Formats: sequence, C-alpha cells, structure tokens
Amino acid sequence: MKNRNLPSGTRDEFGPRAAVKEQITAKLLAILKQRGFEKLTTPILEYADVFKPLNLTNNRAYQLLDEQGEALVLRPDLTLPVARMLSTTGVELPAKWYYSGDVFRVKKQLSGSYNQISEAGFELVGYGGLKGEWESLMIALAGCRETGVTEMTLELSDARFVASVLEALPVPTPTKQALQQALFAKNLTTYQQISALLAKTPFGPFLAEWPWLFGEFDDVMKVVAKLPAIPALTPVIDDLKATAAFLKQQAPSQRVVLDLSIPSPQRYYTGMAFRGYTQNASDYLFSGGRYDDLLKSFQQVKEPAVGLAFDVDALADKVATPATPPQTLIYFDADQWQLAEATLARTPNSTLCLADSREEAERIAVSTAKQLIDLTESR
Amino acid sequence: MPIKIALTKGRVEQQVVPLLEASGIDCSGIRSKGRRLIFDEDPVYETILVKGPDVLTYLNSGAVQLGIVGSDILDEQRNPQYAMLDLGVGRCRFVLASTSDFDPQQVSRKIIATKYPNITKRYFQSIGEDVEIIKIEGSVELAPLIGLADAIVDITETGTTLKENNLHVYAELQPVSTKLVVNRLALKQYQPQIRSLIDALQQTQGVNAQ
Repeated sequence: MKNRNLPSGTRDEFGPRAAVKEQITAKLLAILKQRGFEKLTTPILEYADVFKPLNLTNNRAYQLLDEQGEALVLRPDLTLPVARMLSTTGVELPAKWYYSGDVFRVKKQLSGSYNQISEAGFELVGYGGLKGEWESLMIALAGCRETGVTEMTLELSDARFVASVLEALPVPTPTKQALQQALFAKNLTTYQQISALLAKTPFGPFLAEWPWLFGEFDDVMKVVAKLPAIPALTPVIDDLKATAAFLKQQAPSQRVVLDLSIPSPQRYYTGMAFRGYTQNASDYLFSGGRYDDLLKSFQQVKEPAVGLAFDVDALADKVATPATPPQTLIYFDADQWQLAEATLARTPNSTLCLADSREEAERIAVSTAKQLIDLTESR
Repeated sequence: MPIKIALTKGRVEQQVVPLLEASGIDCSGIRSKGRRLIFDEDPVYETILVKGPDVLTYLNSGAVQLGIVGSDILDEQRNPQYAMLDLGVGRCRFVLASTSDFDPQQVSRKIIATKYPNITKRYFQSIGEDVEIIKIEGSVELAPLIGLADAIVDITETGTTLKENNLHVYAELQPVSTKLVVNRLALKQYQPQIRSLIDALQQTQGVNAQ
C-alpha cells in the first residue's frame, strides 16, 4: 500500500486523548441513563434529504451515492436523524432519547480543523412546557460538572426575540430584512446606517444598543426595558426571566448570560436556546434549545421538542489529561495461566506480558518504562 | 491574557496603525519593527503581522480574537466571523477589465483570469453567465494582453495600473475596504474590551470624516 496518509481533516486518536474522550462520553451517558433516558443509535450513513433543514454555513457534508445513484451523506448532525426516526416509526410520545456518536462536516482544507466531531446528547420530544428547557439545562450543568469543567458560562437566547422586535418596527419589510442581516453579521457600519432611520422613534434607544445586546442577564434586560411595549415579546421575556430565576435557585454560583442579538442556531429552533463556553475556549462546549418545528420537515404534525448536544472534543480540550501511573507487566510461564489471571485481577493498572522468555520480558519492561512482576521466580 | 490582533502586513498595516494609535493602542513596536512579527508593547492588545489570507485562518481557529483585513479577502474566503467595522481605509473596487477589443456580448464562453476565483464565479453567476476561470497569482493585467484570457477580474484603486496596460473597465463589481473582524466567541469572552476598542475606532473615524 502506497498511500498511508490520513485524508485531510481526520486524525487517529489513541493513548490519553482517546481515554479522556471515552471517559467524558461515559460520564455524560451515565447522567442521561440515570435520568431515565433511552438509548438511540442511528446509522452514520443517511440520505442527503434528511439534512435539508440543516444550515451548515461554510461546511458541507461528505457525500456518496448508493446503488441506485441516490445521494447519501455521512451524518453532519445527530438531531435530524432522531426526527426522521420519530416520524417513521410511530414511537409513543412523549419520549426521551440519548445518543452518542461522531458527526462529519467538511471544513476548509488545510486550516487545521477536524471534520469528525464526537458528540453526546439527547432529545426530549413531546413536552411543550418550560420544564423541558429546565431539565435540559440541569443536564447541561451536570454534564459540565461531572466532566470537570469549571467556570463555564451559560448563555441563553431565544429564537422568537429578534423576529418579534423586527415585526414591530415601523419600516417596510425589505428594510427589516436588511437590518436583520446586518444585526446577525454584526456589521456595525451597515447596521448603524439603517437603524439611523429609526433613531427618532421610540425604538431609537433600544436599536442603538441592539448589536451589543449580550452579556450579564440583568444588564441585557435593562436594555430590553427601553423597548416600547410589544405584546409578542411578553411570553419570551417571561420565559427567560423564569429560567434565570430557576437557575439562580438550582445553581446559585452559575454565571448566566443572555444574548438577544443572534440568530437561532438552526432554522427549526422555535424558542429558547442555550450554549456553554469557557473564557479561553475556541468552541462551545454544548449547544441546544427548543425546536418545535423540527418534525415539520418530515411530517405534517408538529411535535414539541427540546434537545442538546455536548461537543466531546471541546470538553476533552478543557479537561486536564490525567497522569497515568506506570503500568505493571506480569510475566509468567504458559502453565501458570491461572496464577497470572489472579495476579492480573488484584494488581491495579497491570497487563499480562506475553513474552516467551524472561530476557524479552525484561527488555520490554525497560524500553516501555514499566514495572515487571515475574511469576516464574517463585517456581 | 492579552487580546490578540492579526494585522495584515504591508499597505493595510500602514493605513491602520495611525487609527489604532488614535484609539489608544501603543504601536511603537510596529513603527520600528525590524524583523519582528509579534508586538506586545500595548498592555491590552498583542498585535501579530500576517499575510491577508492568513488573518482568517488565525481568526477561525481562535488563535487570535481580532483581525484587520481587506474585504476582498473576506469575500473570497466566505468569512464566517463578524466583520464588525468598516475602517474607512484601503478603499478600492473590483472591476471587470480588458483590452479595447473585448466584447462583453461575445457569444462564446469567456475566459476570465483572476486572483479571486470565488468572487469572479459569484459575479458571473449573478448575471447568469458561465465563464471559464483561470487562477493567477499576480500581475493579472498581463493575462488579456498575452492572450491567456479574454478579460480579468481584479481590484483597482485609481485605475492607473489598468490604464498603463491599456485596459478598460467593462463592469464595476463590489467595493473593497479594510475591515475589523471579530471571532464570534471572542466577542462574548472579551465584550467590554472589544466594545471600547470599536467605540474608540468609530470616534477616530468620526473625527477623520469631519
């Protein structure tokens, strides 16, 4: 074989990194299992159509063809397969599913980014009330705590906010669209040109601050209070305030920030969204929210749904790799197998040395810096 | 930890350093840089000098929080980060240019030479035309003169280089200017610092505009 290189955007994982990722995934899944969620595994290969509602921005999915020439993809996301499954199997709702696995997104070549991302997450389908968001948040907090992430910032946002404010602005639709585009791209130069048209209206003071409408929960709410009354906003603000109060009660030391200037992570989001990051991370540790429109891509009937996925790679970057104590090798003669098994069972962090001679066993122990227990000595 | 700025070296650097200084950033190191590439004179901002296309590579990976780069590169690379502020310098424009015998209505499939294949592709798509694009690394003006291409898509500030090569502008594409680009997550992590820098830069611009 001539080509022994990895394709761009992939990597082998072994040793401590692989161990840390496995440990993190196990801890996250244990939390979900303990809370009565059921395991769901979907295939890595799906028809490309399943992911049509997904906006991958600058990335795309790996594509191939099946025997009939239909486009297949390596799944770029784990939420849409759950929606596909629910719409085709008639599972009784409400249901709570958890999953773990890798997703694949082709990113810019030779940019140092990886195209295979390990995720673990859950979907809560069939519950429409705030309790769904709250259980998701409790799991997010528990997941970070259990995997040893400290000083995580929890960010709340809501898919309904921007749309409701834009709806209320006294300008024609194309202006609203241009304003939204500049707001989402944080293009201040263009945003300020458009919002200047409304400077003298009651929306003026709020619009001047809107691109910066993220940060400490109470500070953001003070700016929101500058808005004239918009009836559609009342439930959104009430939900956010109730959630902040809930978090204060459940996790008093948790830093909670609010961002009301961003688009929702995907088009099918219909309500609150939540993400977590640390001060020096370059990726979000988890991301989730309410997406009652999720199943609409697959069936006529809407179903309320909340879900969240942890980025296992981002979590692994945050967790210090534990220093493993030196391993112990157990050298033995073939007829001592039972004794070897017993020694293996009671010696922590040990492994059988399968060398055929004492000399070879010693050589392995020296070259790999391991301790050697020689069971043949006692014969 | 200081906030890191990736600044495009060369012309952008010369035009932007006065703006950064007026906004209170110590750029004395960049003014007398020698061969250095990292400048930590300022207590809050650490500046690194890189090539334009690399600004986004650093920014996307999260290795730097802010970038200063021309919108030509942002458009060509389909920048996913926040281009928050037009710094008002480095203004120029993309044009379609060629020799005087070029016929924009020609029936055959045109061959266009450019340093910016994505921008060229999007432009011709927007006018419903399909062209063959040849990627050139520099001195794009040569291509129609030597017969490599029918026309070029390139940036021009004053049009002098085009005129000197007897090339005419057949269409004006999007304008170009230097932008301050912010990594999406860094904007949240360093909100107060980035906001005060942007406010200061906008104030400087306001003063310049008067």
